[in-house]
Amino acid sequence: MTGIAQRRTPWQKFEARARNILPFGLTVVVLLFGLTPTYIPGLAQITPMYTLVAIYFWAIYRPDLLSYGLGFFIGVLEDLLTGAPLGVGSLTLLLTQWVVFNQQKFFHAKPFAITWFAFVFVAFGAVLLKWICIGLVAESSFTPFGDLFAAYLITLAVYPVIAWLFSKAQTGLLAEP
Amino acid sequence: MKQPTGQISRLGTFKYLAQRFAFLSLIGLTFALMLIGKADTVIVERARTAVSDAVTPILRVMAEPAATISDFVTNLQELGAIRSQNADLREANTRLLEWQAVAQKLENENRQLRALLGTVNGPEARSVSARVVADSGGAFAQSILITAGGRDGVAKGQAVVTGEGLAGRITQAGFRSARALLITDINSRIPVRVGEAGDRAILAGNNSPRPRLIYLGVKSAIAPGDRVVTSGDAGAFPPGLPVGRVVVADEASAVIEPFVARDRLQYVEVLDFGLTGILAETAGAK
Repeated sequence: MTGIAQRRTPWQKFEARARNILPFGLTVVVLLFGLTPTYIPGLAQITPMYTLVAIYFWAIYRPDLLSYGLGFFIGVLEDLLTGAPLGVGSLTLLLTQWVVFNQQKFFHAKPFAITWFAFVFVAFGAVLLKWICIGLVAESSFTPFGDLFAAYLITLAVYPVIAWLFSKAQTGLLAEP
Repeated sequence: MKQPTGQISRLGTFKYLAQRFAFLSLIGLTFALMLIGKADTVIVERARTAVSDAVTPILRVMAEPAATISDFVTNLQELGAIRSQNADLREANTRLLEWQAVAQKLENENRQLRALLGTVNGPEARSVSARVVADSGGAFAQSILITAGGRDGVAKGQAVVTGEGLAGRITQAGFRSARALLITDINSRIPVRVGEAGDRAILAGNNSPRPRLIYLGVKSAIAPGDRVVTSGDAGAFPPGLPVGRVVVADEASAVIEPFVARDRLQYVEVLDFGLTGILAETAGAK
């Protein structure tokens, strides 16, 4: 096995590289998905924080493939695309990664329910942080917290869906040969 | 448990330190970005424009299925109500024809009176239609990306409207895309006039679906139901564009409900009052 692995064809190299950018690529896809209008009344106001879910998921399961640098990059991309104050998204995502990376022992091989339960707290912290940052940068009034709380609840609700899709992608495509 | 050899543990420590250094420097960078963004520099705007221009074609494709489904659902709903709607429309049509006659008479009268007074007409608006391909999403920012940009004559500061009224203002125009800040965004400030008295105020968004009026005169008597229109004070904005209706008016605050709903935005029009050339001529020729 190792002998074959050492002499990889260019195609295999490409495949390995493509696999390695999968978490990043999927995160960008959910970011773009979150931006597309749904035309469903009331939904635009409470669009879930898809990138937060993605960053949290990959921080637990593939910390090697989604580093701080990529987390930062996704945050900047999100801020540029959503028109939010620059830097706020990156700060939120970086701190989310930091929390998960520092609790690796806690998250290691835990059942899904536990990671979801932990996400309840992590996401709350992230929403709170983003709310404060945007309020401070905008310098005027703070966003009414009620709307954000609805968005927070929706984010918790979509976590299982995204986590399921990502875990399918992970077992299907990221499984080491 | 096997003790790690010296080399591996040193490598581990190095990796740990490198990661820690990366984290701290990136956190520093986010604060730097916040300051740069706050200063409203050209670089940030260029970056936003470049990213929007690059991503808009992708978003355009991604928006297609949702738009199709939405159209399909609307069609089904309309199919059910088609008979009653038809009757309503016939009735509305007769009423509107009467109004048309009135409007034509008034327009003629207006033109004659203007000619008598020798007033100069205000600039005619040139409008560009565009599709909405992205909604910033969530309650953190309220802006949309549209498929018209500099190549279509869209420029910063222009008003974005739908048939219902004012939706927002262009804050950044790329080549093939532009971003419109909705009137509900926390950074949106629009000079308006309220009610029949036309009291001046500033409509300030707060990222909720209902923006509020600030700097309202002390003596102004506004009541729920009053119409809010643009005042045109800012310059680029045409006066008299419908914005919304007052829903709450008490000592503490005045809240309005915009005519344009964020989640129904599928096509918008960008009004340009700077370029009067082509349209003014065709309008005159009619």
